[in-house]
Amino acid sequence: MNNKEHTNRDEQLIQNALGAFLRARNGLSNVDSESQHLDEDVLSAFVEGSLSESEAKPVVSHMADCGYCLHVSAELIKLDLAFADEARPAALPEAEPSKVSEVLGGILSRIFGTNDGAVFAHEEKSEDENVDAEKEDE
Amino acid sequence: MTPEKEQPQTLPDSCEGILNELYAACVEQAPNFGVDSETLCESLRKSVQKFVVGPSNGEATEAEIEKFLKSVKIGELFLALGCSIGNERAWWEFDHQHRAYLERVARHLASSDLNAQEVVDRVYVELYGTRIVDGRRVSKFANYSGKGSIRGWLRTVIWHSLVDMHRASPDEVSLDEMTENVGEGHAHSSFSETELGGEDSMIDEIAKNRYREATVKSIESAFSGLEDHEKLLLLYYHAENLKLREIARLVEKPESPLRKWFQRKSARRKKDPGSRIHESTIMRWLEKTYKKVLQTFSASLVGDFEMDEKEVEICLELATADLANPDIYRNLVTG
Ligand SMILES: [Zn+2]
Repeated sequence: MNNKEHTNRDEQLIQNALGAFLRARNGLSNVDSESQHLDEDVLSAFVEGSLSESEAKPVVSHMADCGYCLHVSAELIKLDLAFADEARPAALPEAEPSKVSEVLGGILSRIFGTNDGAVFAHEEKSEDENVDAEKEDE
Repeated sequence: MTPEKEQPQTLPDSCEGILNELYAACVEQAPNFGVDSETLCESLRKSVQKFVVGPSNGEATEAEIEKFLKSVKIGELFLALGCSIGNERAWWEFDHQHRAYLERVARHLASSDLNAQEVVDRVYVELYGTRIVDGRRVSKFANYSGKGSIRGWLRTVIWHSLVDMHRASPDEVSLDEMTENVGEGHAHSSFSETELGGEDSMIDEIAKNRYREATVKSIESAFSGLEDHEKLLLLYYHAENLKLREIARLVEKPESPLRKWFQRKSARRKKDPGSRIHESTIMRWLEKTYKKVLQTFSASLVGDFEMDEKEVEICLELATADLANPDIYRNLVTG
């Protein structure tokens, strides 16, 4: 085997080995807490290429270590490509604005079988509220 | 980068002019959204804290903050803020501009039209918000920063909502199983399974184990020695099975940071920074990264494990065969 063939073969082998290594490693995430994952706002901006170098740096570094965010971003990349040809929304037809309560009322009755506006604004117990608010923040 | 919990800091005084300009432009475009200047400024302050000044970014200069503010998709943010405060006109605008799009995305992802309708309904309810905290309704729109497009953000919200729906359903499928239907799952292995050569029989188990351990350690150290963007490229291609054109899409914008990092030393970039990224470019980046890994991997086997050239070959062959079995890898890592 000459030198060039030898190098090509090694490159092929390292590619195979690396592929196998990465697939095996992917299940083992180094990020355990769900609260540390990238949020939807950051993920979508990254996938679209809207982040600057300094903004993208911590995101890329997180994904190199976190199988979960890596996977979500990969799915979003596929989705982004699938809708790449969608143009911006066309000029709006002038019409009377419908009420937000009408838009949501229909949805409400489909989901809850009622369109009782109270469902949209229910007070929760203060303890749950704090926990949920934290989740929301994260 | 995770959202900050601390109260947003005040923006430098020099930004006041830009903030006023941004607000004025928004009001001119959408005078009926009912968003006051303080609501817009508060949202922008939060975003600056999250993207520019956060703990992972350190101190930011006024110029950096200004640049960030100018990069925000301000019209889309203004619409989101209008919706977050429940403004009728903003909701009407949102519904007309984006509902049909949301439905198309949902149909693309969901297994049936019924699921698609359900997920859109859920997303609307989430966007409006059903919880009251400190007397204020919490709308999901408040989480949108305007850094990316509103449609990109909506796609992500739909995707997550659909995954949550699947998780909650009685015949729950795993995230991988669910997303497999969406993507075209296949492993990028352009090779036939590597058969160990004739020497195999001569390598006894003890030697094999020594090679295995050295191989895993060396490949791990070669991978961890890569830059984060190189790791990400390999992971997208090999672990997530993204296609070259999907990766190319991610870096297609001339200002894409990933693209800049890969092309830092490239003469072509200096000559033509806006040139189109083809699949062959991604392949070249991959090949460069393989070369880098091969060098470190071989150096580690020779330097740290005192192996000769022939043994390096054996390790390479063993690696492909062994690492294809995740259990062996896990045992080696945890053992
Ligand atoms: Zn994560």
